[in-house]
Amino acid sequence: MADRTIEDRLREEYFDLLPDIRRVREQLEAEVRFHLLTISHSLRKHERLEVMSRIKECGSAVDALRRRQEGREFDSDRPEVYTLSALRDLAGVRILAFPGGRLTEIDQVLRLRFSSWHPDPVLDENRDVLAYKYYGYCAEASRKVQGEYQVVPMLTGLFWQVEHSAIYKPDPKLKDVAKLPEMQQRTKEVQSALQKFGEEFERLVLGEKDSSK
Amino acid sequence: MKQDLLKDAGYHLNFDRMLYFNRQTKKAFSIEFVDEHEESELERRIQEDGDRNGWRFYFNSPPSAGVKRELERALG
Repeated sequence: MADRTIEDRLREEYFDLLPDIRRVREQLEAEVRFHLLTISHSLRKHERLEVMSRIKECGSAVDALRRRQEGREFDSDRPEVYTLSALRDLAGVRILAFPGGRLTEIDQVLRLRFSSWHPDPVLDENRDVLAYKYYGYCAEASRKVQGEYQVVPMLTGLFWQVEHSAIYKPDPKLKDVAKLPEMQQRTKEVQSALQKFGEEFERLVLGEKDSSK
Repeated sequence: MKQDLLKDAGYHLNFDRMLYFNRQTKKAFSIEFVDEHEESELERRIQEDGDRNGWRFYFNSPPSAGVKRELERALG
C-alpha cells in the first residue's frame, strides 16, 4: 500500500480535532455575545453590531498550513513537524460594528474577559489598527485548539467576506495573490474608501442628532 | 520596485508556489525572500550564476532535498 501523504495525515488530524474546534467556536461565540449584551442593548437607531462565527473547513486548514511554507510545499522527509493545531483560527468569531465609533468600546469590553489572549491586530499601511484581532485558548472548551476573535468595522468585514467568497474560496491558492504589492495597493484603496464612508456617515448622523436637540 | 527588477531579468511568478522563477537561469526566489531582502541584495542575487546541475532556490530557510525535488518537478 502506498505511504500516506502529509495531507492525508493532516486530514485525519482535522477530524480528530473537530469536536474541540466545534466546542471552541460555541464557547467563544456565546461568551462574546454575553459580554457585548450591554453594548448591543444600548445601540442607537443608526448603529449595528453583528457577531458571526465560523469553523475553518478541512481543505482550507490544510491549505493554510501549506501556504505557510516557502514554495508552498510540505517537506515529505519531516511529516512530524506539521500539525493543524498550529493554526490559530480553526474556530473564529468576527464582531462587525457600523459605524466604527463603537469599535474601541467593544475591544475594551472583550479585552477584560480575554485578558490572557495575544493581540495580533490587522494594520493598515500607516500602521494604524484596521481591525482588532486576538487568539488564545478557551480552557473550558479545549486545551488543544486555539480560537480567534476579530473586531472589525462592518464595511471592511463585509468587503473581506465578499473577497473571500468570490475569489479565494473557489481557489484558495489565489489567496497569495493578495500579498502582491499591486493587489495590496488596490486593497488599501478599497479599505480607505470604506473607512471614509463610515466616518462621513457617522459625522453626518451625529451632526444631525446634535442640531435637532 | 523589487517586482520590476525580477520581471526585467526575465522572471515570472508561479502563483501556485509563490515563486519568481526563470527557466533559462534555473533560479527561483520565494516571495518571502523577496519581501525580506533589500533591492540591492536582490539585484546581486539575480546577477550571480546559477547551479550547473539544477535549480537554485533563494529561500529565507533553505529548502530540504525533498522540497527541492518537488519544486524542480513543478517548475519543469
